[in-house]
Formats: sequence, structure tokens, C-alpha cells
Amino acid sequence: MIGIEHYIVLSMALFCIGLFGVLTRRNALMFLMSVELMLNAANINLVAFAFYHGNITGQIFALFTIALAAAEVAIGLGIILVLYRNFRDVDVTVPSQMRW
Amino acid sequence: MRFEPPNVTEMNEWIAVGMLAFVGLLIPLGMMAVSYLIRPSVPETSKRATYESGEVPTGGTRIRFNIQYYMVALLFLIFDIETVLLFPWAVVYLDAVESDAVSLAEILGPMLIFVAILLVGLAWAWRSGAVQWARSPFQVEAEADRP
Amino acid sequence: MFPIELSEWAALAPVYILVLSAMVLFVFDSINPRTTNRAFLAGTTTAGSLAALAVAVWFLLAGVGTPQADGGFGAISLFDGQLVVDQLALFFIVVVTVVTSLVSIASYDYMKGHTYQAEYYTLTLLAATGMATMAASNSLVTIFIALELASLPSYALVSILKDNRGSIEGGLKYFLIGALSSAIFVYGISLVYGATGFMQLDAIAENLDADYGPLLGLGILMLIGGFAFKTASVPFHFWAPEAYEGAPAPIAAFLSSASKAAGFVIAFRVFTTAFPLEPTASVIGVDWTVAFIILAIVTMTIGNFAAATQTNVKRMLAYSSVGHAGYALIGLAGLGAGANDVVMGAALMHLFVYGFMNTGAFLFVGLAEHWGVGRTFEDYNGLSAKAPIACVAMTVFMFSLAGIPPFGGFFSKYFLFTASIDAGLLFVAAALVINSALSLYYYSRLVKALWIEEPVLERESLSQPVGLYAAIVFAAVMTVVVLPGFGPVADAAVDAAAAVVA
Repeated sequence: MIGIEHYIVLSMALFCIGLFGVLTRRNALMFLMSVELMLNAANINLVAFAFYHGNITGQIFALFTIALAAAEVAIGLGIILVLYRNFRDVDVTVPSQMRW
Repeated sequence: MRFEPPNVTEMNEWIAVGMLAFVGLLIPLGMMAVSYLIRPSVPETSKRATYESGEVPTGGTRIRFNIQYYMVALLFLIFDIETVLLFPWAVVYLDAVESDAVSLAEILGPMLIFVAILLVGLAWAWRSGAVQWARSPFQVEAEADRP
Repeated sequence: MFPIELSEWAALAPVYILVLSAMVLFVFDSINPRTTNRAFLAGTTTAGSLAALAVAVWFLLAGVGTPQADGGFGAISLFDGQLVVDQLALFFIVVVTVVTSLVSIASYDYMKGHTYQAEYYTLTLLAATGMATMAASNSLVTIFIALELASLPSYALVSILKDNRGSIEGGLKYFLIGALSSAIFVYGISLVYGATGFMQLDAIAENLDADYGPLLGLGILMLIGGFAFKTASVPFHFWAPEAYEGAPAPIAAFLSSASKAAGFVIAFRVFTTAFPLEPTASVIGVDWTVAFIILAIVTMTIGNFAAATQTNVKRMLAYSSVGHAGYALIGLAGLGAGANDVVMGAALMHLFVYGFMNTGAFLFVGLAEHWGVGRTFEDYNGLSAKAPIACVAMTVFMFSLAGIPPFGGFFSKYFLFTASIDAGLLFVAAALVINSALSLYYYSRLVKALWIEEPVLERESLSQPVGLYAAIVFAAVMTVVVLPGFGPVADAAVDAAAAVVA
């Protein structure tokens, strides 16, 4: 029987993979994909917990998360596009006119 | 959190998963091996062409696509995903219709408002040229001085 | 009390007005794309946000959502408690709509000649809608949706100057850190949901279960990450200087005042409603105020020390905005020591006054950019000779931000100081005083540049754009007149805080 803890381990692993990608990748698109991994890790949790607790809130919220993630990607791709037009690159470390 | 000790039935389920993975790998690999053994080998240059129909490809594969591809893709992404939000509404729709507690206007109203807002967004995207495939020279010129 | 009997859904009228104005702009832009009718666009935005402001003030005065225990009407809960309209929500809707009106008036001049006029104002209104909804959210679901509704337009607004590298860079960094923190925030929500089985804040408080202590603790930690991003506090403050410096100045004002206030309201509501101090401490084993005490001290220190070393005025204001987030965090750090409503009320007052003085200061920078005088302290030298009115206003903002007695900023800081002493947080009170003293140094540097230093270059006479001037002067007047009017504001803030901390 697959218990709730298996899902937590899976989602934690996915979240950590995403976080690793965020911290190491310099390509803006890879960054976006890594963030998507992290969001989907949360979705796994939400659906698994919804099943575990026997209420549907988590599943509905997962749907909202998916929609919002898509909206975020749309905005993100737009910004990456103007980034490319201005800097001829999608490396997130290239724009550094201002200090961090 | 509760951790249950492994029992025999649990092991059996995992064996089934392992078998599925094993068979899933075995079939395609087996088919590839068999076809490798029985197929005749006739090397010929035309077989290595990108399009075996005879079309000669021009230019490299890493070309820049028209920006409109991305525009349409992004619009599709947004509107496709928004329909997901209608899903919970559809799930409770039948129950709501059957119960007397809520009127039909209360059931349909929120969904219609949601779709109306989406339609306003689509109309806006349409009018601002996000779904326009080709531009006439006049339009291109008007676009050029848009910072 | 109630002049007119309204049905319950009308309690969200300010939010509806904001949405409707945004839709009007959408339809107008669809019918008449690429319009240059700036008067209509800025006018609709201003009218919409002023109408929302008027309704919110009316509700606040009429006593909508006052606690039933004091003979009030009780908090109005809508959509099965997903949204709640109480005094706290109305107070922050007022702050958000005030800032939105100031920003839209100022944008009339600042965004002159810009191509994406309708888009700019529509996004501003949508972001304001998101912030107003954040103020009324009472469930982790609505909080997240409202937070994204406020964030997504902000990303686009920061990078709206498509050919300005600074704007793109600021927008990119804002987006990257925002996307990361919202992913962490959602994961935190999923863990809290896993530990309690509910998303609604009251239900979470009733279902804190000792079996899931570690899960809940990790979830709360991740939620703090999300709040830190929205309020530009440590550890997610990196985006603030870049985004504020690169963004158009009115947008920087909008983000640093309204967006920060909205971030604080959800933090206040979540931590007081969903995670009451003692039950949560017994489940996760630590007191969450400790986290906020550390964050408050670190945030105000980092913000002020970084601000003191800047040469660019906009960047100095950006770091000072990080420092002010640290002051407002005292509102959470000081809970649990008795006078909860006073501590949080002081933070609300500070955010209210900050809404005027910080917006005004960023708009003055916008005015300077409009004149094209440059960005550093030296470029501001001797501006008072050419534009005395604006410089008086800027001086008011600077001294108020520093917390000099005759202005609004002094009172809110004074309340924060006494409240943190009452709460026994001597370290925090000391940090507040030291940082305020340090901030006086760099704020007065700018005042000195404006009034005393001689200009490096001879200047032509400077234009007087009506919209920017009106917004700046109004903000300055408000920063001063909250002094005699501080009683009602303080009462409203303490009442609003009492509604949630009880």
C-alpha cells in the first residue's frame, strides 16, 4: 500500500530538484522550467493530501495553481523575450547594469 | 506520521510494478533487435536525406521563428488553461440545479461573468493584433515607430 | 449607523469598482487600440480608484465589519468565508486605493509619449484589484490567487519600458525572485493543508494537530518566505533595489507602498487568524514571533545600512523601503505580550503614513526624471532654486521618513517604539532607534543637496507638470495633516488590528 509519506517524499524530491535547478541554471528558460517543477511538487502534495483528508479543497486548489502557473509562464516568456531583444541573450546573469 | 510495516501483499504489488517495467522495456528492445537481425542492408545516400520525399532542405534548423508563433502559443496557453477553472463549476452544476436552494441565475451567473471577462480579454488581444498572422506594408510601417 | 441597507455582497464594492474600471479600459482599448487619449485613460483610472477609496472610507466610518462584541455589525464573510470584510480589510483597501490614485494622477505626465498607455493603466488597476483582494482574503486559496493577481501585472509594469535596459533588468529580477518565492509559498500552503486538512484560516486554527508538528513548522517557514517577498523583507529583498530603480518611478512608488502594505495585511491575517500564538507554539515547538523579531531587526539594519551607502537617489529610497518593511514587521514581532492591538495598530499606522510619504518621495524622483536632471545626489543639487514647491514637499517626505517630530512619520515610529518597549522587545526598540538615527543621515543628505548645495550645471527653468505636482503636493499635505488628524487614524488602526488579534 502506498501511504501519504511516499507522496511527501516524491514531492519533496521534486521540489528539491526544482530548487537545485533554480540555483544553478543561468538560462532564464531553464529557470522557468525549474520553477514549474517546484509548483508541480506542491500540486502533488495538494492532491495527495486532499485524498488523505477526504476533502476536495486541495484538488480544486491544484487546478488554480496550474492556471496561475500558466499565467506566470506567459508573463515570464514575455519578459524573457524583451530580455533577448535588449541583451541578445537569455542568460540571467548578463543583465547586471545595476549592482545586486 | 504512521509508517506501516511491510507485509506480503505489499511486496506482491511491487513485483507487479517491476514486471510491468521489465515487460515495457523488453517489448521495444526485442522488436528493435529482431528487426536489426532480419532487415536487409542497402546503404544508399538518398536514404540519409532529411526528407526522403526528395525535398532539399534549405538553411539550418536553428532559425528564428516569426514572433507571432509565440504570441499565438501564449494566447492558446492562457485560454486553454483558463477552462480548467470551469471544471469545478461543472462538477457541482448538476447538484446545484437539482437543489432548490439556489436559483439558476446564481448558478450560471458566475460562470457567465467569468467567460465574459475572458471574451473581453480575447477581443482586446484580437484588436491589438496579437493573433494577426501577416501584416500589410502599411501596418508594418505603423508598427515600426512603436517603441 | 448604516445610512442605506446594503446586501452582503456589496461589502466588496471597492474591489468591484477597481475591476470594473479595468474592464472599461480593456473595452476602450479594444474599440480604439493604441489610443493616445491619455486624459481618458488616466482619468478613468483615477476616478475608479478614487471611487473605490470613497466607498472604502464610507464603509470604514459607517462601521462595516466592526466586531459584534462591541455592538458592531460583525465581520462580513463572503463566499463561505473565503473572503472577509472587516476593519482590517477596509483599512488596507484605503491605503491601496490612495496610492493607486496618486500613482495614476502622476502617471499622466510621467508616461507622456509612451506607447502602451492603455496597457499601463489597465495593469495598474488590475494589480490594485489584487492588492485590495489580498486585504480581504481569509483563506490560503484566495490569498494565493490575490497575491498572483497583484504580482503578475507588477512584473509587466516594472518592465514596461521595453527598450530601457534597466527596466528590463529590474523586471526580470523581480519576476525571477517572484516566481521562486511564489513556488515556495504554494509549497508552504500545501504543507499547511497537509497538516491541518483545511485552507480557510479559521478552520486551520481549529485543526492544529500535534501529530503533524514538523510538517506545519516547515509550511509556516515557507509561508514566511512568500510574505518576505511581497513585503520586500529579508531574505527575499534582493529584487527591491533593482526593480524599484529600473521601473518607471510611479510604478516604483506603487510597488513600494501599496504592494508592501498588501503583503503585510496577508501576513497579519494569516499569523493572527490561522496560527494563534500558544496553540501553534505547542504544536511546532517554537514561538513564531521569534522568527519575526529576527527578521525585523535584520531587515531594518540591512535596509538602512545599504541605503546609507547609495549615491543614486532612487536606489537609496529603494533600500530605505526595505528598512521600513523592517519597522512594520515589529507589528508581528511584538505579538503575544499583552497589548497585541496596540503593537499591530502601530504597524498599520506606519504603513498608512508610509503610503503617503514614500509614494510622494518616489513621485518626486519621477518628477526629477521627467525634468531629466539625472539620478544621483549631486544631480539634485540646488533644485530648490528652480522648483521650490516640489522641494518643500520632498523635504517633508524625507523628514517624515526619517521620523522627525512635526510629521506623520514621527508618530507612527513613536508608537512602534513604545509598543515594542511595552512588548518587552528592548533589542527591537534599540534597533529601531539606531536605524532611525542612521536614516536621518542619508535622508538629510538629500535635503542638503536640494537646498544648500550649488548646482553643478546651470539649469534652464524647469517645467511644472500638473499631474505630478498635484500628486506630490497632495501627498505632502497629507503627510503633514495626519498630525492633527492622527487620533482618528490611530483609533481606526488599533480597531482594525483588534479585529484580528482580539
